[in-house]
Parts: sequence; C-alpha cells; structure tokens
Amino acid sequence: MRKHDVVIVGAGLAGLRAALELAGKVDVAVVSKVYPSRSHSGAAQGGVAAAMANESDDSPELHMYDTVKGSDYLGDQDAIEIMTHDAPITITEMEHLGCVFSRDAEGRIAQREFGGHSKPRACYAADRTGHAMLHTLYEQSFKYKKDITFYNEWYLLDLIYQDGSARGIVAMDMKTGDIEVIHAKAVLFGTGGYGRAYKITSNAFANTGDGIMAAYRAGLPLEDMEFVQFHPTGLYQQGILMSEAARGEGGYLLNGNMERFMERYAKSRMELAPRDIVSRAEQSEINEGRGAGPNKDYIYIDLRHLGREKILEKLPQIRQLAIDFLGVDCIDNPIPIQPTAHYSMGGIPASKDCEVYSDEKGTIVKGFYAAGECSCISVHGANRLGTNSLLDATVFGRRAGKSILNYLVGAKHEPVNEAEEKRKARKRIDDLLYTPSTESANNIRNELKEAMTTNVGVYRDKERLAAAHKKLKELQQRFTKVRVEDKGKVFNTEIIEALELANMLAYSELIIAGAEARTESRGAHARVDYPTRDDVNWMKHTMVSAGADGAIQLKYKPVVVTKHQPEERKY
Amino acid sequence: MKYALYTGCVAKGAGRELMSATVYAAERLGIQIREMKDASCCGAGAIQEDNPLLADALNARTFSLAEEQGLDIMTICGTCQGVMRTAQIKMEHNPAHKERVNAALKRDSGREYQGKVKVKHFYQIVEEDYGLENLVKRVTRKLTGLKVAPFYGCYVLRPHEYSDTKVPDRPDYLEKLIAAVGATPVDYAEKQKCCGFPILMPNKANALQLSGNAMIGALKAGADVIVTPCPLCHLNMDSYQPEIEEMLDRKINMPVLHYPQLIALALGANLDELKMNTHVVLPNEKLLEVVNR
Amino acid sequence: MAKTKFLVSRYDAARDTKPYLQEFRLEIPQGATLLDCINLIKWTQDGTLTYRMSCRSAICGSCSMKVNGHARLACKTQAADVVIDGAVTIEPMGNLPLIRDLAVDLEPFFDSIDRVKPYLVPDESRQWKREMLQSHDDYRKIEDASTCIMCASCWSDCNVLEVDPRFLGPAALAKAQRFVHDSRDSDTIGRIEFLSRVTGMWDCTHCAECATRCPTDAKPLFRIKELRTAAMTHKITNNNGARHVLAFRESVGGTVPGIGGGMLNENYIPVRSVGFFNLDGILSIIPVGVRMIIRGKNPPILPHIIDKFGEVRAMFRRFNDYRKEYRK
Ligand SMILES: Cc1cc2nc3c(=O)[nH]c(=O)nc-3n(C[C@H](O)[C@H](O)[C@H](O)COP(=O)(O)OP(=O)(O)OC[C@H]3O[C@@H](n4cnc5c(N)ncnc54)[C@H](O)[C@@H]3O)c2cc1C
Ligand code: SF4
Ligand code: SF4
Ligand code: FES
Repeated sequence: MRKHDVVIVGAGLAGLRAALELAGKVDVAVVSKVYPSRSHSGAAQGGVAAAMANESDDSPELHMYDTVKGSDYLGDQDAIEIMTHDAPITITEMEHLGCVFSRDAEGRIAQREFGGHSKPRACYAADRTGHAMLHTLYEQSFKYKKDITFYNEWYLLDLIYQDGSARGIVAMDMKTGDIEVIHAKAVLFGTGGYGRAYKITSNAFANTGDGIMAAYRAGLPLEDMEFVQFHPTGLYQQGILMSEAARGEGGYLLNGNMERFMERYAKSRMELAPRDIVSRAEQSEINEGRGAGPNKDYIYIDLRHLGREKILEKLPQIRQLAIDFLGVDCIDNPIPIQPTAHYSMGGIPASKDCEVYSDEKGTIVKGFYAAGECSCISVHGANRLGTNSLLDATVFGRRAGKSILNYLVGAKHEPVNEAEEKRKARKRIDDLLYTPSTESANNIRNELKEAMTTNVGVYRDKERLAAAHKKLKELQQRFTKVRVEDKGKVFNTEIIEALELANMLAYSELIIAGAEARTESRGAHARVDYPTRDDVNWMKHTMVSAGADGAIQLKYKPVVVTKHQPEERKY
Repeated sequence: MKYALYTGCVAKGAGRELMSATVYAAERLGIQIREMKDASCCGAGAIQEDNPLLADALNARTFSLAEEQGLDIMTICGTCQGVMRTAQIKMEHNPAHKERVNAALKRDSGREYQGKVKVKHFYQIVEEDYGLENLVKRVTRKLTGLKVAPFYGCYVLRPHEYSDTKVPDRPDYLEKLIAAVGATPVDYAEKQKCCGFPILMPNKANALQLSGNAMIGALKAGADVIVTPCPLCHLNMDSYQPEIEEMLDRKINMPVLHYPQLIALALGANLDELKMNTHVVLPNEKLLEVVNR
Repeated sequence: MAKTKFLVSRYDAARDTKPYLQEFRLEIPQGATLLDCINLIKWTQDGTLTYRMSCRSAICGSCSMKVNGHARLACKTQAADVVIDGAVTIEPMGNLPLIRDLAVDLEPFFDSIDRVKPYLVPDESRQWKREMLQSHDDYRKIEDASTCIMCASCWSDCNVLEVDPRFLGPAALAKAQRFVHDSRDSDTIGRIEFLSRVTGMWDCTHCAECATRCPTDAKPLFRIKELRTAAMTHKITNNNGARHVLAFRESVGGTVPGIGGGMLNENYIPVRSVGFFNLDGILSIIPVGVRMIIRGKNPPILPHIIDKFGEVRAMFRRFNDYRKEYRK
C-alpha cells in the first residue's frame, strides 16, 4: 500500500494546479492514466477568460453577468462570482510561472473576443492556449519534483469512500498490471470530462468519465449530467475542434447557400453568440435542408477574408488540423464543420471550495474534492461560455489546493481494508477477462456513440430519448459478455479500454435519465417537445445517484441566485 | 554545359584529391567548369551559428559572383550544397530577410544577389542535367563485381524543407550512379545517417562511433568500398579509420571514395591520376582487382 | 480498393525474445489516418496490439511511432500517404527501451527534460503586480520552442543518442532554448554555461533528424542553432565546440592575422578547437595529423587566400553590426 497525505487523480490543469498549491507543504501524489503533458487540457485552443481589461474596459462583475446569462441561469452565482473575481490573479500567476501568452502592443497579455462574452476577455497563446498552460504547470512540476510523487500511467479503478469520508483510491499500474491502494487523508479528482460517448466529439480517447463514475459507483451523486455542450465547429465527420477563436478573430459561418445564417438566430452577436445557440442554428439549417455538401449535412466556417497573415499568426494550429484531416487549407477554402460533443457541464457536485457533496442537501464528504471538468460546482450551469473552462480548472484547482491544506490540519489517515479493496477491483477486471465472451467491444462502442449522437444530441425529444435509453439497456446487457483477448499484465490497453467502455455505458444512461426527466429547454439541453425554458419548475440542478438496488434515482437541488434574476436570453 | 565550380574548403585543403577527380570526370563527360577563385567558405553551419546574417551575406556574395558570370553553381561537397541551398531557400521564403542580406552585401562589397542562380551538387547535375544514360555511354571501365555502399551525408537530405532530394527518406541517386558504372549498390540501415564529422572537435568519441557504425553496417552488408558526395564524411571515415578501428577493436579497411572518384574510375582514370594514394585508407584488394582488370 | 499490408512490430516480454513484424491486412477507409487504421486493427483483428494514443489531433504527443523507419505521429498521418508498394511498416520509436509492441519506456526522455531546469527562473528583485511585460518580438523568440508536445519523435531518430545516451537530446535542448531566450528569465548565463558542457548543445551532430521528424514548430535543430548563437553572443566559448566556431570566424574572416582569408584553414581548426594550451587535446590530434602528412593529405601550410578577399574582410569588420541587424 502506498501512503500520501493527498492523492490527486488527474494531471490536467485542475490536478496540476492543485498539486502546485500543495507541493512542499504536504506529501502529495498525482495519479494520471496518461503522462501529464498528454492530458486533454493541452488540446484547448482558443483562450482563457479573465477580466484583465487589456484590450478594453472590463470587470469581474461583467464577466460574472455574461457567465450567468450564458449558463441560462442554471449556474450557481456565488461560485461564478468567485471564479470571475479570482480570474485575473489566477491568470497573472500563470504568467508569472512562465506561461507563453501572446502579447499586445504594450507587451501585456493579448485578449480576443469569444462567444457570449461582451468584452474581448480571452487571454490566449495563439490557438494553443491549453497547451501553453498545461505545459507551464508541467514545467513547474519538475521544479517541485522532490515534493510531488507522480504515478504516471496509473489507471484509477475505484474511490475508497466509507462512512462519509474518502480514504484513498485503488489504481492499476499499467506498466505492470499491478493493482495498488493509495491511502490518503484527502483525495482530489481532476479527471476531466465525459464527451467520448458521442460519435462526433472533440474529446480525446481518454475522456471517458472514469473519475465521475468511480464517485458514482462509490454511492455518491452526480449533478446536471444531461448538460453536454455541443461545439458549433467540429471538423466534418471527425469532430476535431476548430477553435471558437476562428470566429473570435472574425470567421463567418455559411450554410449550403453560402449565407451567413446566424443573422436569423442571433442578430447582434451573430457568429459570436453562445455555443448552444450557434450549434442549434447550424443543426436547424442542416435539418431544414440548407446544409452544404452532397448530403447537405454540414456547414462551412469561412476564414478566407481574414487573410493569410492573420491566419498564420493567430490560427496556425487549426489551419494545420484542417489540412491534415480534411485536406482543406482555410487560406483558400472554407472548412466543412458540424456541431461536435465538446464539454461536460455535469459532474461531481462540489462546493465553491471544491468539497464534494454526498446529497442534494449539501452534506459534505470528508476529505473528497473535485475540480475542473469532472466537477459541477456549477459555474457553467446549462451552457459553458468558451474560455471559461480553462479558467474553471485553474481557479478551482488552485482553490482545491488551498481548501485541502485547511482540511489537512488535524486530519488523519482513516482506516482502509486494503485486501478487500483490491479484491473488489480485481474481481471487476477478472469478470471481464474470464467470463464466457461473445460480444465485440468495438461494436458496442460504435453503437453507443451512434445512439448518443443521433438521439441525445443537439436536439432531443421524448421518443428519441426513449429509444436511446432502450438501446443503452441492451448495450449494457451485451457488455456483460464482452470479449477481452488480451490476458497479459504488461500495458494491457485492451482491458483499460473495456473499463472505459463500461464507464461510458453507465454514464450515458445518466445523461439520458436526466434529459428525459427535464421537460424544458435550457442551455445545451434543447427539447423539441418542450421548446421553452421553464423557470417555475426547472430552475434546479439534477442530482442523480444509484439507489440501494442500483436503480437510477433523480433528486433536485435549488440554483444559487444572488445578483441576477433570470431573464430571457437575447443576443 | 558550363558551371561555376564552387570548390568549398576541403577540396582546396585536406581533400585535394577530390579536386583532381572532379576535373577529370567533368572533362571526360564534357561538362565545362570554371573554378570560382573569389568565392568564400560557405560557413559550414558554423558561421551561421556565430552570426546568421553575416553567413547568409557570405553566401549571397558567392551567388552574386556566379550571377555575374551568368553561370549556375556546381558544388562538390554535400555540406556546402546543403548550407548554400538553405541560405537560398531562407531568402526565397522571406523576402524581407533577402532585402536585409542584400542591403548589407551592397554596403560592404557593392554586390547584390538577384535570386536567379541555381546551386546544384555534381550528382544533381549528372542526374538531372546531364543524364545517367549519357554517362553510361562514356563508361570505358565497367566496375563489375565491385560492391559499393552509398553514404549520403545529412546535408543533402535533411531537414526535408531544405533538401532538393525528391524523396529524401528514400534517396536513390547514389544507387543509380553505382549501377550506371556497372558496380553493385549495397543496402544498409546507416546509409542515411550522420557520419559524425560536425562533432569531431567537441565529442570525438561520438563522432568516431557514428562513422564506425556506418562503416560496419556497410561491411556487414558486404560492401567493398563506400562512396559519398560529401568530403567531410570522407574525412571522418577515411582519415580517422585507424583510430576507429582501434576504438572498435576490429579491422575495417574500407576505402571511402568521393563521388567524382567513382565516376572517374568508370571513365578510365587510373588510381594515380586520382591521387587515391593520398587517402589514409588505400585502395583495398577488391578495388585494385576491379580497376586493374 | 485493395487491402494494404500493415507490418506491425510485436513484442511481449512474457513470450518473445525479440520483436518481430506481424502482418495485418486492412482496407484503408477514405481519409483515414494511420491511427484510425491501427485502431481498426486492434478493435477488429487483434485486441492485444499495444500502443499509446489519446487526443487523435496531434496535440497530446502520445502516438509517435516509426513509420517506414522514421518517427511520426500516427494521428497526423494520412494512411494512404505512407503506403509503399502496398505496405506500411510500423515499429516502436527508437532510442528508448521497449515495453510492449509499439509502447516504449518514456522515462529517459522525460528525464532529459528534467536536466535542463525546464521552468522559468524569474528575476526575484522585480515585483510585478500584474503580468510581466513581454514584447511581441520577444514572444516570437520563444514561440516555436513552446509548441513542443513532448512526443519524443526527435529523440527517437536522433543520431547522437544512438551512440551516446548521455546526450541531452533535441527536445530538452529545444526546451532550454525556450528559457534562454525568454525575456522574463534571469538565469540566461547560467543556463548557457550548463548547456555548453559535454552532452549539451555542442554535442549535436546536426543530423537534422529532429528538425525533420518534429511534428510541431519546435524543430529542435533550429533551436540548438539559436542556443549556439546565444553562446557565441554572450562569449561563453571556453569549450571545443565554441572554439571550433571561433576558428571559422578567425580563418574565414581573417580576423586573426596570418590565419586565413575567405577560406577555412584546416590546419588551424583542430588546434584552435581543442585550445592552444590544452596539451592532452593537442596530443590527441597529432596521430591524424601525422597520418595525413604521410599521405600528403595534409592541408597546405600557407593558408589559402581567395581572390577579392577584401570584400569578405569588409563584412567581417562589421561583425557586430550584422549581429545587431539580425536581431532587429
Ligand atoms: C478540443 C478542445 C478545445 C477546448 N478549448 C477550450 C478553450 O479554448 N478554452 C477553454 O476554457 N476550454 C476549452 N476546452 C475545455 C477545457 O480544455 C477542459 O474543460 C479542461 O482543460 C479540463 O481540464 P481538467 O484538468 O479538468 O481535465 P483534463 O485536462 O481532461 O485532465 C484529466 C486528467 O485526468 C486523468 N484521468 C482521467 N481518468 C483517469 C483514470 N481513470 N485514471 C487516472 N487518471 C485519469 C487524465 O489522465 C488527465 O490527466 C476545450 C476542450 C476541448 C476538448
Ligand atoms: S540535429 Fe542534433 S539534436 Fe537533432 S537529431 Fe541530429 S544530433 Fe540529435
Ligand atoms: S521537439 Fe518536436 S519532435 Fe521533439 S518532442 Fe517536441 S514536438 Fe516532439
Ligand atoms: S493521439 Fe495525440 S498526438 Fe496523436
């Protein structure tokens, strides 16, 4: 058994930022299934929001208002206020740590426009902002290498949660296949999002919701799972992201008739309306027969008028992606795109100090914290604004660190039954390896992704959700007979992929359950059969958990409203 | 066919036999060359590191000298070729840089590089301008039975963006030449690797190990001799071969031919005319046998 | 469409004594990347095939492998582009211990990064309430290096690492350049001095594999050249590599009288490089000198002076002006 004061699962922005806060003060370990620099934060392109006011006047209050409005009033305003007020200092700190930001004429951090933000508020590093931030924190981890123990390529299997407190984790060392318990006084999850269940997705293969499902399996609730953000500009059929920065820098969206159709949906903000609105507009154009291409099933993003120089300076990476994956050079041609599953607003419910809640009443789990995309604090509500999630991960990673430091005063290692924990985890794996198997994981995964994209996508309704739910049940059943050929111990990626698939099958059902129950349209959750927002009945967070019999239970929790009463969202 | 011959430093110094072979081969092929006696060193990457703009200006000056004569440049050193093409391509891709180079050049030597001159290694001229089929016609001594290991040298292959080699990861011009003169090309993994010459001064052990690995690779593949278009590769593998043998504790005895030497031999030159006795590794039995047949 | 042969390197320590190539056949779907194909093989033909991947968009650096002998990102490669005579060969990266199939042990690579102090050392004497200021030009100096995704493609194909595992390697040197040239860093000289030691920047043999294989703008060789320029500019030249460069300057530029004029003085280079007062160094270059003299291969004793050397001399007289103009 390994023992540390704190174990952090996840080495993305949230996990690493927290580790930095704790390094040298307590004994901290970081567990990640990929090397830290491979974490999905590195894929973030467009920017990170902070009211630095470098390009125009701006304020955290205005940032707060934009975020609340963007969230379709489902975001908790106390948490949003903290995030937007902590933003400038958090970004300044990142810069002091060496982050390579693009600069304006005065040498300050450059800022650009982004969807739903009323001011140019996105600090950026060309179109590799997440990469620049992630690598900055990774660099710092070398500075503190004596103070942080890294468990790279260790896969989280289970959270050890007993009698109201988290006591550590069970994980597998992928290089040896050994299962180990890491015993800790406090556990932080920064395990990222769950967008991988969709066929068209911007997410990495690693984004399979392992952390949230470990919490769920341990008996904890998850919040607002039905809110999955669809980004308006995924590369056609690939889902790979073309950053919103492309529109922030002035790109147009065109339908098959080469019309700037956003005029009909968001006259004042046009292409820079929030993502839920733009994605729906695109889907409507496609559904109504105005898509582009032979099957009229895509939209164009047109950057040609920005000119070669600006594209090369500000958007080099997305240009390269379109060349590598579609063979289209955006300097000369518009790029075919479609909405792509992108961000998980839902996750592990947590307080503004990242303490995880064990129920809808706000009971706090001792020693368990969550930050970043796996958490639902809820600063994004029903729809996240672009650039707010790198901010979320950094601000709350930092806060989680501070909050854990406070908690550790007087905290101790609660007992764990090592043998029993290992046995449970081992059994889950052995069941996969040694039960009679007939089903192909590949088929199950493909059918799952197809079902989620078709029936739980940008537009939803009762019938489609029911069909998806039925399909899910069938797939879960088939999964009990899934075939894993690789019986080896060393770097067995097939077993890891099977475990990830199990998680995807489980949380997809939670997304559907929440979506079926929520008979309104709010933010990213758009029901064709309930097209309007219903503040009377649905100004509340979904809390989903497993009942005693394993059945899905839905409960609800009020939204925290402080400064801004719900209004109609117009852009 | 007429070219301005850019000799580079080695052919005037420690590799004068390269010059003899070049003159011999060009003459027999009917390629006219005019030596650029006023051209300077290309910088060999070293001056580029010391003073990038000055290095580019030095090469721009060389280019302008050839432009003045209305001739394209022939190089006989892989390193010169790579370094000079890099300078050209940099200026081509970045007109502002070219202007800056020209401004300095004009100020200090009254010259201007227009961007017209072509810079080609002897091997490119033989393959692209002259034609291997024409070379075959002039072969008087087929080198049948000689197994030749091609060794390319880095500069003409990489970085790809500065290389004129068509498929730089699978070059074949040396193999084609070897076949054209009747010899047999041998294939081995190290043929595209570095000979180590650039680090001879800072890290001799590594430099010699690299050449050693390459020669042993060639040896294992059955090669009798190595041929290279870069005299620096030649220097490392030839002049240091005794030390390499000592270091690796094994005999190698691998003659390392300059590219024009292989052509000249096929055109009938004898070993003395080519000053092959100035190599540290003298022609081995197999080479003598083939040449004296 | 005909099926393509995928020759994939397999190795499982529990079973195999050494890696071998296994043949798979697959029809490459329209527009599929190499990673798509390998995934299809794993998911439909052989679940035991082992490799790393995550982002599939060329940003996480997980999926580098040797394709037809050279390292590249599988996810950034259109499969159809790398088929040669109906086949593609896929092997693990080089210069790293093998774990299984295409997965290698990355620890030596990440350790190399650790060795260059890969983090900003800010000037503690200055207090910044807000962000430190940095001009756009200064940002441009570190931008390329900062795009590195730690994929280790460069490391895999580096020629020096094949013969000397102690070499810092291309990615670490590129990382170092990012700090040496960062206007916010206060340890420039200390860094250059460290990088000037054996195993550092002067040990790169310029094989240019790194600059060719690197999938980003980091292109280590170019960063190494920038490091060397920085070393020369800061006059940190007490080593063979830098002295070798000085020998070029002195003989080509004729800046030391009697040493040369326009061309390299090959007699001068070795002596100058090892250092005039380095007895061991001088002794070490004697054997080759003797060999060459015996053969008459030694360079002429009197340095060769090119025609119109005056033009070149004029350029070298303005040595510092050229440097200044270049930085602009
Ligand atoms: C293509 C793309 C572009 C984006 N662009 C932007 C943008 O411009 N601006 C913005 O604000 N946001 C953007 N986002 C969103 C943002 O990048 C993420 O929300 C944020 O980076 C999440 O950070 P994180 O630290 O929570 O998780 P991640 O960076 O995803 O890290 C998750 C960590 O958890 C570890 N982990 C997961 N499961 C396990 C397990 N089972 N065992 C062990 N370890 C595990 C992983 O190894 C990883 O280290 C973008 C997202 C995508 C997909
Ligand atoms: S150029 Fe230098 S660092 Fe790059 S691969 Fe070659 S030897 Fe290694
Ligand atoms: S320098 Fe280039 S090749 Fe090397 S690790 Fe970085 S991105 Fe990969
Ligand atoms: S999978 Fe991330 S770089 Fe290829």
